[in-house]
Amino acid sequence: MQMDGQTAAIRITGLSKLYGSVTAVENLSLEVPPGRIFGFLGPNGSGKSTTIGCLTGLLDPTAGQIEVLGQRFDAENVAIKRRIGVMPETLGLFDPLYAHEFLAFVARIFGLDEATTRKRVTELLDALELTDSGKTLAEYSTGMRKRVAFAAAVIHSPEILFLDEPFESIDPAGVALMKQWLRRFTDQGRTVFMTTHVLETVERVCHDVAIITKPGKLVWQGDVSVLANDGKLHFNGQEFDALEPLFLHLTGEKYKDLDWL
Amino acid sequence: MNFELIGTMIRLRYKLLWANTRTRNGKIALFFAGYLLLVMVIALLGAGGTGAGMVAIKSGKGAVLAGAILTGIFAQGLLASVILGFGMANIFSEFELRRYPLRAAERRVTRHFIGIADPFWILFLVLDLGIAFGLYLFGAGSFWFGLAAVLLLFVCNYIAARVLGMLVQRLTSQKFGAMMMLALIICVGMLPALLQPVFKKNPAILAGVKRVWQTTPPAAAGVAMTHLDVSGVQALGVIALWLAVLAALLALLERRPPKAAVVHDTKVVWEGRIDRLGAIFGPTVGPLVANWLRYYWRNNRFRTIYPLALPLAAFLLFFFSRQDAAGHSAMGGPLPMALAVFGLIGFIGTGQFAVNQFGYVGGGFRRFLLLPTDPAAAFRAGSYLFVSLSAALILPAAVLWTIFGTIPPAAPLLAMLVGCSVMSLFLFHGVALWTSILGARRGNYKQALGNDLSLAGNVVVLGGTLGWLFLPQLVVRGDSPALVRNFWWVTPLLALAALIFYMVSLRLTTSLFRARREELMTLMEGKG
Repeated sequence: MQMDGQTAAIRITGLSKLYGSVTAVENLSLEVPPGRIFGFLGPNGSGKSTTIGCLTGLLDPTAGQIEVLGQRFDAENVAIKRRIGVMPETLGLFDPLYAHEFLAFVARIFGLDEATTRKRVTELLDALELTDSGKTLAEYSTGMRKRVAFAAAVIHSPEILFLDEPFESIDPAGVALMKQWLRRFTDQGRTVFMTTHVLETVERVCHDVAIITKPGKLVWQGDVSVLANDGKLHFNGQEFDALEPLFLHLTGEKYKDLDWL
Repeated sequence: MNFELIGTMIRLRYKLLWANTRTRNGKIALFFAGYLLLVMVIALLGAGGTGAGMVAIKSGKGAVLAGAILTGIFAQGLLASVILGFGMANIFSEFELRRYPLRAAERRVTRHFIGIADPFWILFLVLDLGIAFGLYLFGAGSFWFGLAAVLLLFVCNYIAARVLGMLVQRLTSQKFGAMMMLALIICVGMLPALLQPVFKKNPAILAGVKRVWQTTPPAAAGVAMTHLDVSGVQALGVIALWLAVLAALLALLERRPPKAAVVHDTKVVWEGRIDRLGAIFGPTVGPLVANWLRYYWRNNRFRTIYPLALPLAAFLLFFFSRQDAAGHSAMGGPLPMALAVFGLIGFIGTGQFAVNQFGYVGGGFRRFLLLPTDPAAAFRAGSYLFVSLSAALILPAAVLWTIFGTIPPAAPLLAMLVGCSVMSLFLFHGVALWTSILGARRGNYKQALGNDLSLAGNVVVLGGTLGWLFLPQLVVRGDSPALVRNFWWVTPLLALAALIFYMVSLRLTTSLFRARREELMTLMEGKG
């Protein structure tokens, strides 16, 4: 998708990532406009997390270019890292720390002064209902750990948020709160790039969607907000009234029947 | 009992072990491990166990000597498993086994069958068997009595190690428990030296101790191996009784896991001391250093080892001084002894962590790479912390030496000793930078004792410790005052060279870290 007269928040050109002889992402090119919630979908093992890894400096691409906020991006680009927030797949928490200690550490590294750090940490813990300060992160439930990782991604008020499966394991109230924050976030012209397997959530939250198949090949990209107004999604002359049938069609997923089950 | 499923689970443990050999490194490791095991089994069975049995016969005190040797083996089994963590790995936890259709008793049997079949315990079985075989071969006992005694003693040893390990784990999870534990180890280490004069003065006490010892499993095994009469049967009964008591104790401890002391509090407490310490390193590196310090200060292993580095050094000095006073100088005199201990101070408190910096962070490793800093900043910050913490011990050590030292204090001597500490500090931590990247290994943060370093890490820590203990006596010879007067400047000069080595290593390993960070991430997250 080529954008007209507008700098893309994220631009990926010919991205490939190989682990030894195994190709995880192959010649992936896509652009994400600013101010949008962008859903990055694909079946398990299709290269979504690898792509996010390359976009956030965790992994070095084998080939291709990445531009974030108009600048070439690699793991050494500290200036861009300061402007993005990441909630990684494995959360990246330090288990023996308390939530407020972990968040304060992240905030300080992102350059927030002490007063702002303490204010934001307190507000985030309160808003995300992480108020049991007597427990270390190791003692938190999976959902609570996700909330902490989400708080760490937003604490410095980034311009782009990368969220790897953000809603899984979080209770409905938490998901509703996060969705509300994400909408407000993009209303301010900022961008969200997220992966998830919950297609209903994608239909309700995302503006744009890209679908990749193994190994990290882009097969469809489009605006899914049309579905809210009874619009249709199109692919090769076919119409789809929801994301799930399109996804299954593109990824070649088949329902297999087990007669003993 | 579902023996079929239990058997399947035990086979699965070995299938998993075999699965590790799919990589080239795994195959090499398996080959060497197998070869070493075979050689050790032959050596232990042939030279160790059987030889000890022969000595027992020839001395004419078969039962007592066999009991004493078996006690030594028993104690070594306990120490090596509890302190160094050998043979204590839980391949399947109770929680993991719950997914299979096994009852509580079956799960316990599965876990302990897998545990006792560890190659480490097999070595101890071979040693015990060797003694029984040696005694039988020279006509001092019955084969079947010996075999029964060995099997009972072997299981007893394993269960005793599990019980002791669990008690230690409970103690070290308490506040100050880790420090109490190491203090206890030092006290036990000093006990023989302290008890010797007491026994000399009061032989009745020694006789009492001997009577108690005769009721222990190894002493009873010694009797069972050498007596074909009622006393042999009684001895087997004593071991069986111990086994029953230990098994009951183990079951009790497993049924009552320690309760985590979770304080439900809704008020955030901002603790600023660690952050203020970190701030010494400046605004960029400071938060990273503070984070490392906070992280490791909550680690039981760290809280055990670091605070006791100085007392341990003092203990070593005390121990070697006593040997010196007794006329069998192990360290070649007071000066080499002081140089060795001051050298150890440079890394003994932090060495185990410095050689495997990221080994305990698990998924947290990923966070370091997402922060708006150079990806290697966390690596450098960790090293700064370990160097600073070890350096902080040098001055108190120098002050203590000035007050209590065995050589009259003088400025050149102090310069020499402090120079030795600084040299080992930078040399060791320089090497540790390389090991942290090239010999990294995912460890268990929760484990207070034990050894989960890679081969390279062990070589550096154990090799460094032993090397530093014995190197000074090889290098320093002759009259101490003359040496100090003429050569006091050597160690400060070597310290400077070590500092340069550390700085060059820091620069080179920073680049290496960047290049290998993906590999390290995979390893730390348990996917490699």
